[in-house]
Amino acid sequence: MPHSSSTPPLRRSVRQTRDRLATALITAGGIGVIVAVMAIGIFLAVEVLPLFWSSADTPRIDLQALWLPQPYTGLEAPAHRWQPALPEGGGEPRFGMLPLVWGTLEAAAWSLVIAVPLALGAAAHSALFMSPRLRARLRPTLELMEAMPGVVIGFVAGLVLAPWLDNHLALGAVLLILLPPGVLLAGGLWSRLGGRLHRRLPMGWAAVWLMPWLLVIWGLAVWLAPLLEAWWFGGSLRTWLEVHLGLAYANRNAIIVGMAMGFAVMPSIYALAEDALSGVPGNLVEGAEALGATRWQTLWKVVLPAAGPGVLSAVMIGAGRAVGETMIVLMASGNTALMTANPLDGLRSMAASIAIELPEAAPGGTHYRLLLLAALLLFAFTFCVNTLAEVVRARLRRRYRRMEGLA
Amino acid sequence: MPAATAVQGQVIRKRAIPVCLGMCLLLLSMIGALPVLAHDTEAGRAGAEEPVGTLGTVGSDTMAGLMLRWGEHLAREYPGMRLQLKASGSASAPPALTAGTTLLGPMSRPMTDDEKAAFERRHGYPVESLVVARDALVVVVHRHNPLTSLSLTELDAIFSETLRCGGESGLRRWSSLLDGTLQGLIAPHGRNAVSGTHEMFRREALCNGAFRPRVREHPGSAAVVSAVSADPRAIGYAGLNHLTPGVKTVALRDAQGVEHRPQPEAVRRGEYPFSRDLRLYVNRPPGESLPSVERAFIDLVLSPAGQAIAEELGFVALPREELNRQRRQLGLETLPAVQP
Repeated sequence: MPHSSSTPPLRRSVRQTRDRLATALITAGGIGVIVAVMAIGIFLAVEVLPLFWSSADTPRIDLQALWLPQPYTGLEAPAHRWQPALPEGGGEPRFGMLPLVWGTLEAAAWSLVIAVPLALGAAAHSALFMSPRLRARLRPTLELMEAMPGVVIGFVAGLVLAPWLDNHLALGAVLLILLPPGVLLAGGLWSRLGGRLHRRLPMGWAAVWLMPWLLVIWGLAVWLAPLLEAWWFGGSLRTWLEVHLGLAYANRNAIIVGMAMGFAVMPSIYALAEDALSGVPGNLVEGAEALGATRWQTLWKVVLPAAGPGVLSAVMIGAGRAVGETMIVLMASGNTALMTANPLDGLRSMAASIAIELPEAAPGGTHYRLLLLAALLLFAFTFCVNTLAEVVRARLRRRYRRMEGLA
Repeated sequence: MPAATAVQGQVIRKRAIPVCLGMCLLLLSMIGALPVLAHDTEAGRAGAEEPVGTLGTVGSDTMAGLMLRWGEHLAREYPGMRLQLKASGSASAPPALTAGTTLLGPMSRPMTDDEKAAFERRHGYPVESLVVARDALVVVVHRHNPLTSLSLTELDAIFSETLRCGGESGLRRWSSLLDGTLQGLIAPHGRNAVSGTHEMFRREALCNGAFRPRVREHPGSAAVVSAVSADPRAIGYAGLNHLTPGVKTVALRDAQGVEHRPQPEAVRRGEYPFSRDLRLYVNRPPGESLPSVERAFIDLVLSPAGQAIAEELGFVALPREELNRQRRQLGLETLPAVQP
């Protein structure tokens, strides 16, 4: 500090006190956050623990009764059931938590299936191929997407997307089949055409080339869907699925949840993966290109292996968010506690169950404590996943620094 | 062990949205009534018979709209009256009556013996029960669904997993109900687990069995109806007063094969299988008459005008004999025998 010698001692000591105060405040804030997070965990654990030994108001719950199929009266075979509030009148409450865990993981899995390819593709494209100008505009747009509240996404999914897909199931299916090969075809054509087109539309703007193609695919699907439905599926794909394959179609289903939640987790996966990919030291990329590698080879052989842990941590953060997301699942899933692998059927997640049932559960009762157990599971899962992802990212940053130092 | 916790679950029974809506309506109606109140206070005091004071009720949220309309009607007639209606669920009525915070407790289910005993222990006399209107649960399908009637065992087979009401095996496809006119799987819809409607359907249609996990749960009868009106393969149950043109009701066949439609007449006579009484529990020491406000309220409720309001809201009015029987019980003057 060159100024300190010229400042009078009083002002210097004032400044030092101010600095110390600020440091103390920041430290206190940091510790406060950590304590708050731990307090949440401890609160949940304390509330849940009485489940495991009997007390005056809550009978002890058998761990096996929670996680294994139970022989409920009236059912032929033991089954997993989550039907907690069967009140007076001779009903047994059914506390099988597996359907909720299944629903949570199913919803998260489908959202990752939809979000990961798109987000990683977008990240790779914008980190390596896109023109800096376009990239500078894309990032804020995607961050805006992240700022969209879950309720809004859930609302759109539940009240716009679900009824639309309900009425246009065949169109949706045809689009699902046509889109990936159609987009690949567009990419292939672009590289074949070459020459003049490439001069007009440089690599960084290739996305513009895709737009008319998407329209063409859409038009093709709209034309094809009713024909296919009439020829092969006897006029209605949904009836065909239900009659011939026995697949129930719920109009709020796992696919819709996946699409909506995929939309929600895509921006965070994209942002983190893009950071990891574009953070790969420039000398590695330049070195590869200097040795004659194409951009694709550079991406595949150099950038991805270097940034792999970062990409993995991006996916993990996305998974953490998808597991904990409440409103989207609540509004788009139908909330039926089923355990089916059929993606066209409904599901009920732990977070949604907590949101629906906790206000109505008697505090201190078994149902209440089980909901808090679900909360504890969610907390533990997201805590572990996020911590792991953070550790991976910290190691990646060190690795990048080392790589830069070596070169 | 399960029974104790289940009862607790039932006690804490509240639905925020209808309550909020009711509160808002109440507030609006009070604001609307303010100028009238200010204007007429002196005139109100002049009349000796005028009921002046606050009408307080605590209870059912199914009946929230009904109580509000009755209260409003009364407040228009007697400007010196204020309303304080709380609708946090039927389960909130017995504690409030027992504690003496209210004299009137509307409930969409009968009080349990425990609740009655608690009241009697505290006050030394039994609580008085009035039936103020009838309600029914209806089974609805999409308006283009060709189904016209269902037997009670078929209904059990569609909704129940435990088949306690005589359903032989689960009914899963429309083709086993209708001869090929509708294909595909039956999509059942219903109310969420803590609602009285869910409870009543489980008790009456499932014989206290358990719902299939595939039954989709909605937060209100209106949501059930709108979901069913959007899907030709759906079937659901809802309160009678929530019907819309998008759905049609299904007649129910009893064990003898007699079809019952949820017509007001059938509900009024109690012939329709899923009819229920909407009740008003009253704290009245035997031999004494009620305070003027409560008395005027019950007078309205048990009158043709009050019953007309209930009908307007989609509930079913009571027959005149039943009104008169209850009026005599309370010492109110009876209604004239027949009106053209």
